[in-house]
Amino acid sequence: MSSTRKANCWDVMPCDHGPGCSEPCPAVLDVTSAGVNGGVNAGRICWTVPGTLCFGEPQGDFVDKQETCLACRFFLQVRDEEGEEFRFVKLAQGIHDAELLHARITQVESLMGIRDRLRARFNLDTVIAEITRQARILTQAQRSLVLVLRGRPPRLHGEFALRGRAVHVDIPFDESSAVGYAAVNNQTVNVKDPYQVPVQQDGVRFNQAFDEACHCRTDSLLAVPVHDSDGRVIGVINAANSAKGGFSHDDQWFMERYAIEVGLAIEKARLLQEATAAGRMASISESLAGLSHFLKDVAHALTGTSFIIRRAIKRGRMDEVEGAWEILDRHVRRLVDLCKDVLTYDPDRPDDICPSNLNATVADAVSLMQAEARTRAIELTTDLGAGLNWWPHSKRGIYRCVVNLLVNSFDACLPGGGRVVVGTEYRDRHAIIRVSDDGQGMDRESREHVLETFRTGDRERGSGIGLPTVVDIVERHRGRLEVDSELGRGSTFAIHLPGEG
Amino acid sequence: MGQAKKKVLVVDDDQDDLKMISMILEPEGYEVVTAENGVEALQKVESADPDVILLDVMMPELDGFAACDKLKSSPESQGIPIVLLTGVAKQITKTKYPIDGVLRAQAEEYLEKPVDPEELLRVVASFLR
Repeated sequence: MSSTRKANCWDVMPCDHGPGCSEPCPAVLDVTSAGVNGGVNAGRICWTVPGTLCFGEPQGDFVDKQETCLACRFFLQVRDEEGEEFRFVKLAQGIHDAELLHARITQVESLMGIRDRLRARFNLDTVIAEITRQARILTQAQRSLVLVLRGRPPRLHGEFALRGRAVHVDIPFDESSAVGYAAVNNQTVNVKDPYQVPVQQDGVRFNQAFDEACHCRTDSLLAVPVHDSDGRVIGVINAANSAKGGFSHDDQWFMERYAIEVGLAIEKARLLQEATAAGRMASISESLAGLSHFLKDVAHALTGTSFIIRRAIKRGRMDEVEGAWEILDRHVRRLVDLCKDVLTYDPDRPDDICPSNLNATVADAVSLMQAEARTRAIELTTDLGAGLNWWPHSKRGIYRCVVNLLVNSFDACLPGGGRVVVGTEYRDRHAIIRVSDDGQGMDRESREHVLETFRTGDRERGSGIGLPTVVDIVERHRGRLEVDSELGRGSTFAIHLPGEG
Repeated sequence: MGQAKKKVLVVDDDQDDLKMISMILEPEGYEVVTAENGVEALQKVESADPDVILLDVMMPELDGFAACDKLKSSPESQGIPIVLLTGVAKQITKTKYPIDGVLRAQAEEYLEKPVDPEELLRVVASFLR
């Protein structure tokens, strides 16, 4: 045996059930886990093995023993040693059927991938739709629903689609329902056969009124509280009617892990919504300041020329009238242009979005930023795809988005310069605009605070609208903004714009 | 008029504004000299020796406040009355420049755009009595 082999749990913890014993621990025997985290069998992923003989006594499965396991010094040791490579769950435990195995792998992958996907979403509705879809897949449920606490007194609100129709659910924040019970007591509720057993263990009461209101029947229900980062309950995620007849401990475990991600995603989307509203206000007040300055200029000219003309007429000096009239005319035209500008500027004007060459809009924004790129020794190039000559978009809006993302990517480039590529692509009936830099990139923490970064970004240098306004514009297009970044490898911001229909 | 015309130096980066102020002043018997920025204004003060200076605040190169500061600190020009014109709201200007402090005290008068031409003529005349 190599001297560099990694320690297994039986090497570290006081254990009389290691390899070679008459009564070895299930972790010792679990060949399906061989090599996970570099261990012998399940020696370095023992927490996932049911019935391990820790402390000399058979333990339960992970749901039962998780509190002990997550605080165990060996678990913490493996986690620290493995770092980024650390594997917390194992895919194939006890599953021999290939199809089932595939399903479980998909489940786990989707749980792992969801974290990133959710964190790339900024719109609360999109976040909730994604959460709901994934929860249904994860637990093989017929339907799932995210309920968010809102209002005073607080009630749980949510919406789900039933036979293509949106059904709104509004549940009181009290123990009169299983979902309310989960929220009030901050406790997962796993209900089985509620029509046979209306009052479940722990006194959880199932309220049939909601089934009647929604024209559906619940045979099993899993309701898991969702928290914000301060641990306050902000809602409940539930899944109903498991395909397996009831929700297992595994389902419960997944949903509880999942609820953590859900909480973070909802919290971030809410923050962003607030920031977007604040950004909109800031941009309106900036526009008003600019407008006021412009109007003063025009008023100054009109007051002056009006005086000159009146005086000239009184004195019969037509030569003076002519000169003043020229100036007056020019300023009247400026006012007319302004009116047109204000009309096209209105962010809520729907026909602002109309089909035209998206690549041309992107290229315009890039050419504006070329001079700035040169002064910063940044190589700014484009990689424009085909099929986007007639794409519905707001020219002004997308132009502003690209300029803003470019300013941010320039700021992310290292002082010695860098490379920034603006690409467009047609894919899955969407136009994608990507702004990628090879700058410093962001670690996970920074990515989570990407919004903050933009909010506190150097507004003097940019066009001063920031990410919230980019998100605002993109959402007006019913599109979405995604962020992909890795520390030391740069960042990519991608705007996805749907086509018509 | 038997005596020499009174000379007004108008400093503004906007051609229309320059032309318009000239058209307000000239028919009233003033000679108007123009400059398009603060740097040019300093040169024109030497060559033209104006009786009063109308200075726009927002200008490239040397802005109105800085030009005013220079003019008031030079022995040759400190006696020439200066009228500052600005399109920026007083509140905003206050945060950037101490209007009611040092700089405000340096200029003799301060007119906010849109400037009333009658008032402009009254102010200019008041310095030339």
